[in-house]
Amino acid sequence: MAELYMSATLTQHFLPQRLADFPTITDALDYAALGETGVNFYDGRCRLTAVVQYAALRRKALDMAKRLCGLGLKKGSRVALVADTNSAFMEVFYGCLYAGLLPVPLPVPSSLGTHDSYVKKLSNFFKSCDAHAVFAPAELVPFAKEAAKCFDMGFIGSAKELQAGPAPDILLASVQPDDVAYLQYTSGSTRFPRGVTITHRAAMANLQGMLRDGLGIGPTDRCVSWLPFYHDMGLVGFVLAPMASQMSVDYLRTQDFAMRPRQWLNLISQNKGTVSFAPPFGYDICSRRLREGEAARFDLSSWRVAGIGAEPIRDEILERFARQFSVSGFDQKSFVPCYGLAESTLGVCFSRRDIGIQVDRINRWELERTSQALPFDGIDSNAAAVFVNCGSVLPGHELEIRNDSGRVLPERQIGRIMLKGPSLMSGYFQDEDSTQAVLDKAEGWLDTGDLGYLNNGELFITGRRKDLLIVRGRNIWPQDIEYLAESQPEIRPGDVIAFLVPNDTDPEVVVQVQCRITDQEQRERLVQSLTRLINGEFGLTSRVELVPPHSLPRTSSGKPSRAEARKRFLQTQSGCELTLAVG
Amino acid sequence: MVSQEMILERLFVYLNTTVPASAPVRPDIELVQELGLDSIKVMDLLMELEDEFDISIPLNILTDVRTPAQLAQAVFSLMEHANGAVR
Repeated sequence: MAELYMSATLTQHFLPQRLADFPTITDALDYAALGETGVNFYDGRCRLTAVVQYAALRRKALDMAKRLCGLGLKKGSRVALVADTNSAFMEVFYGCLYAGLLPVPLPVPSSLGTHDSYVKKLSNFFKSCDAHAVFAPAELVPFAKEAAKCFDMGFIGSAKELQAGPAPDILLASVQPDDVAYLQYTSGSTRFPRGVTITHRAAMANLQGMLRDGLGIGPTDRCVSWLPFYHDMGLVGFVLAPMASQMSVDYLRTQDFAMRPRQWLNLISQNKGTVSFAPPFGYDICSRRLREGEAARFDLSSWRVAGIGAEPIRDEILERFARQFSVSGFDQKSFVPCYGLAESTLGVCFSRRDIGIQVDRINRWELERTSQALPFDGIDSNAAAVFVNCGSVLPGHELEIRNDSGRVLPERQIGRIMLKGPSLMSGYFQDEDSTQAVLDKAEGWLDTGDLGYLNNGELFITGRRKDLLIVRGRNIWPQDIEYLAESQPEIRPGDVIAFLVPNDTDPEVVVQVQCRITDQEQRERLVQSLTRLINGEFGLTSRVELVPPHSLPRTSSGKPSRAEARKRFLQTQSGCELTLAVG
Repeated sequence: MVSQEMILERLFVYLNTTVPASAPVRPDIELVQELGLDSIKVMDLLMELEDEFDISIPLNILTDVRTPAQLAQAVFSLMEHANGAVR
């Protein structure tokens, strides 16, 4: 029950602000604890439910660290942490850091009837990170126990369970900048997860770049967030970054945002938030849910940085948001498009502040034919491709565009985005093959897998990671959908290809299945059952298509070529439209 | 006092307006697998229920909910707990 006299932490206090110039994350928390700011949690109706100042958070984290050491876990052991939006998550997360253990934030279940698939997912994560202990919110502990059946865990339970009784009297070892701080599993296949290892040094370098150079944080800033704590933008951007700059934060749980998106805007209005981020779909869903005359009830004039990241940015969605909420005092110049990835802790490029969305109109014909991004000067807007300016790379980092043979390309040429600098991961946890595939340790360059071009040193993303399906801010790996379909008795391995195509509202997932069945009724049944199966597992409506045997394109090494399948699909589509228009 | 049947009725009203009428909505129909409710529609449905019955639905109870009958049962037991608590 909420206490009547509870009030949120202040925005401003007397402690001089330091922007993440600390050697380690724990040093940052030690400093934040000297002030009066902290974290505030709100329920789905925007009522304050918990307030924790950084001072109290540090005290609880140090206490938790001793209890964790008391479990007999060796330095560097992984502690899986099912991440709901609450202060217990933070106590265990920072507790692990003080104890020299690696916290591994993991997702909460997100939909109806997903019990079995969630347990399987958790179990895959436990295996991948070789977890030695598991923390979960009390109501999710039974899931964690079920998932941990085949593992030897030193502890499975809630933070509260470990906090019962006196803490052991243990002297904590000091934390070093080159120690690995945590593992991040945000973007990756759920069946074959890869954990990104981030050291304290990398985390602090990225935090400093983002806070000082990317966002220009000052002593009057205040953050608002509904992003999940297991996601890099939620964890690094809105748990670590506010703490490392002694800012107060107001949190809404992700589920509550999904149910009542406008509470996000309510919270910004109520607490005069200045910095808040979302993937484009977050802005889109607010626009769509807005009721007649309602926008005037919000006061978004304090919102200085409305960050956009985590999925390809479409300017028209943001323009609509800005139009609708201009009566709320929202200034479209506060939009800050960004580019980032977990393999570089979080942030890579931030567009210049106070200019809003800047787009580049490109000649589509040249783009498709020569991979050059030449300015479009015609009239027919269908012949132009539009890309959003994501700004220049953070200071201290280098960004290059290269072609497939590794040659550096000049400006306005599209190629792979390569990145070098202090924010990079050390590698994928216990996965040398995957690490070598993307990280050149001798030269220090990371292949982001994304495509783009530079113009005046500013980055424009033209395609995100090859094959990755980004649907409403979620990363879905095509191989997970393909695997699910292939596990049906009628379908053989290698018979399925999944890819994403643009659609009117949300992009659509197309699943093509090679099928030998000729009976029409049976074919329809198969399409229906696959559509249901995919919706049940991934919560999205896909378009399942049956294609003849041996018709799916392969790469030279015999693997299914999703890019080629997608290209052919789009060609047939536009072919159909053309026939209709002509015929 | 709200009964489980009343919750189920409310659920049917919602489902009949949001889901294409191809399949008749039954108490034991699978919401996601058979009715094709996607994640956004699920969230809408939960919001309706929260507002209508003044409850807060925790995520963990949903993972074992597949049908309207199970959802009504879950909401009903949440309301029982809420009524027992001091507000």
